[in-house]
Amino acid sequence: MKNWLTRWLGGGVQLDAHQKQRLADWQALPRPSSAQPFDAGRCVVVDVEASGLNLMEDRLISIGAVAVVNGKVALGDSFYVVLQQATVSDKHNILLHGIGGAAQTEGKPAADALLGFLEYLRRDPLVAFHVTYDQTMIQRAIRQFLGVKFRHSWSDLAYLMPALNPALASRYRSLDDWADSFGILNDARHNALADALVTAQLLQIGFSQCGRRNIADFSGLRDLEEAQRWVSMPV
Amino acid sequence: MSAIHVSQLSFFAAHAPFDRMEPAHLLWMLERMQLGYYARDEVIVSPEQGRVERFLVIKQGVVQGEQNVAHASDADTWLELVEGECFPLGALLAHRAVASTYRAVKDTFCYELALADFQQLLGLSAPFRDFCTRRIANLLEHSKQVIQAQYTHSSSEQQSLASPLSAIIRSTPVTCTPQTSVREVLERMHASRIGSMIAVDERGFPLGILTLPDVLERIALPQADITQPVINVMTTELTFLPPQSLAYEAALTMAKMGFRHVLVVENDKLLGLVTEKDLFALQRVGLRQIGSSIRHAHNIEALQRAASDIRQMAHNMMAQGVAAEQLTQFISTFNDLLTVRVIEMAYAESFADAPQLPAQLCWMALGSEGRFEQTLNTDQDNALIFKVPEGVTADAMRERLLPVARRINEQLAACGFPLCRGNVMASNPQWCLSLDEWKAKFSNWITNGTPEALLHASIFFDFRPLHGTHELADELRTWLARAASNNSRFLHQMAENAMSIRPPLGVIRDFVVGKEHTLDLKLNGITPFVDAARIFSLAAGVTHTSTLSRLRNSAAKLNIHPAEIEAWIDAFLFIQVLRMRHHDEAQSGQDDELDNLIDPEDLHELDRRILKEAFRQARKLQARLAVEYHL
Repeated sequence: MKNWLTRWLGGGVQLDAHQKQRLADWQALPRPSSAQPFDAGRCVVVDVEASGLNLMEDRLISIGAVAVVNGKVALGDSFYVVLQQATVSDKHNILLHGIGGAAQTEGKPAADALLGFLEYLRRDPLVAFHVTYDQTMIQRAIRQFLGVKFRHSWSDLAYLMPALNPALASRYRSLDDWADSFGILNDARHNALADALVTAQLLQIGFSQCGRRNIADFSGLRDLEEAQRWVSMPV
Repeated sequence: MSAIHVSQLSFFAAHAPFDRMEPAHLLWMLERMQLGYYARDEVIVSPEQGRVERFLVIKQGVVQGEQNVAHASDADTWLELVEGECFPLGALLAHRAVASTYRAVKDTFCYELALADFQQLLGLSAPFRDFCTRRIANLLEHSKQVIQAQYTHSSSEQQSLASPLSAIIRSTPVTCTPQTSVREVLERMHASRIGSMIAVDERGFPLGILTLPDVLERIALPQADITQPVINVMTTELTFLPPQSLAYEAALTMAKMGFRHVLVVENDKLLGLVTEKDLFALQRVGLRQIGSSIRHAHNIEALQRAASDIRQMAHNMMAQGVAAEQLTQFISTFNDLLTVRVIEMAYAESFADAPQLPAQLCWMALGSEGRFEQTLNTDQDNALIFKVPEGVTADAMRERLLPVARRINEQLAACGFPLCRGNVMASNPQWCLSLDEWKAKFSNWITNGTPEALLHASIFFDFRPLHGTHELADELRTWLARAASNNSRFLHQMAENAMSIRPPLGVIRDFVVGKEHTLDLKLNGITPFVDAARIFSLAAGVTHTSTLSRLRNSAAKLNIHPAEIEAWIDAFLFIQVLRMRHHDEAQSGQDDELDNLIDPEDLHELDRRILKEAFRQARKLQARLAVEYHL
């Protein structure tokens, strides 16, 4: 019981001095205002691959992220990391995301990988498609390996796109559906970085559609998302 | 910290000029790029935004360039850009605002590079720099894009004939050394299921090719020794084209020479092989196919179909922006083939009782046909030279030939070459003459120099043999070159006559147009070049008949700088393209009469500028003529 509790509270985490400093530096960063307009600021679109779809048991394998700066995807400001795994995920899962056993055990030590992600992210808003999955995987990993709670502002395109395109909402569910409907090509589905880029392109379309509804910042985006959560329950 | 996914690289690897850039430079560029989204109808770049600040590559979607924002409509659309294309190069290189408004036609994503990075990349990557600067090096290239855009809708599926061979080569060619044994080559061809093998030297320069049909003809049937070096049984007369050549050029080479392969070679190194099959997918009607349907035609209906295929093909080539020089070359090549077939059919029918007769004859093409400068509405201009066999008079020969000539003229008319209004045709007894009679005729024109003589000179001096005994026409040409260059008075008169037609450029206003507000592209545009080239060639004793060859070959003898000659040629070709486009548009609009009259106001702004420049070149040419002949 104690063991489980310490792990849950992050008590068993051993960070070295340098890692502790990095974490403290990140925690000290100021949070940007949620009134930050889309076309004058940075947000990060993220996608993760894990060993399976079970939110409580499966492990985070890779994080892919691209930054949208002033409304445009900054290709040079992108991030990809594979986390070092103690055990390799099963064969079916490997076939899905294409990260083989060797790559999984050779990945970056989890604490460094996650610190790298936080430093890349800074305190900028996060965006994903089906946030619950990405958020849970990242939160659990950060709690386990860095010993802190990861509280961050997220926006979910799985709610925003139906809110902005009610006519399409009943037919389109998955990221693939929405990408297809706007002709966004993805040559490497289930690669976290490629999926993050597709999600970012969807976000750009979302931003553009928001403009027509006089929504220009992330707080407006959050209101829209809240409203949609009342109307629908995504898959 | 940045991560670029390989799928981004593979996108760039599929498009020029990025396909030729070094991976390191490509990565350098990608890391500095942004991806922008533009909703349908959103303006991407416009003149109002001032100096252009970014270089764009379309990742997906369609972008239209429009001349006039206020009245944006289909008619104003002059440019349509698709996936993989870059813009706005001209404005970026010139550090100015764009002249047109670029607008997304549908949901569009563009990779964008800031101006400073773009400039740095120009310095880093030679292929990138070449691409950007060559594309806008001159207005003519730009104008080509305009033409292409205007035609896109009618022939989008034919676009690719204007694509460079580098884009068509599918895989690296399979090669061997020239010393490899025939046996080994055959085994390798069999094992890798390939249709051809190319022998290259140690530097990669191709020395010979062996194809599957060759195996039958050169190895199996003659029972060749298969232990010998393969080079002994290879075809060593190879046709090379550089990777920048267009698919169209490869197709025309194959059609003319009857080859099925063209080797793509750069810096003496084999890059790939383009086969007839590769090109076939790009054309609805293959060039070789048109050529062979003409050669095997047995009735006038088959030739009429071929004539219509030629016109369709010319239209498509124009749409693809194939250069005027090649376009006219294409039209001449196929019109020649067609005319020859008409003559062969008529001779076969009429001279069945006298099979030796055709050898006494030479059918000549005159005027623009003689100069290889036919457009789509060219009237027939032709004539016959004949030998007078012993015991027969020239009149008796003529008597025998005229009905056949008339039949040929009529059949050509049925194929879409209108009868000559001035009756300059082989069926006219005046222009169906023996070699001696022709010499007397030309001699008379040269010595008397009457207005009529000068008029005839412009048609008849451009003769070339088309069918029959070419030696007859060649002899006449050699004789004429001497007779004319010796007669400076006649050349002087011709020059004087040529100067009477002035390019329509006013001192103050741009163009001088008559009451009708039209310019005659043939009389005022083409004729000054054609006339001057003829005079230069006669003076220099050059026997070529095409205006381009006449200018190029006379240059040295007349001490004219080659750059000056090329400027005249560019100007001439541009006017020629305008004429052909004008005819092509009139034809698709089902107008009966094709004329050469255009209203400069109807031209695209860019074309107007180039046309003005072309007329200025015509003036320079006439000035040169004036100096030469003290006019």
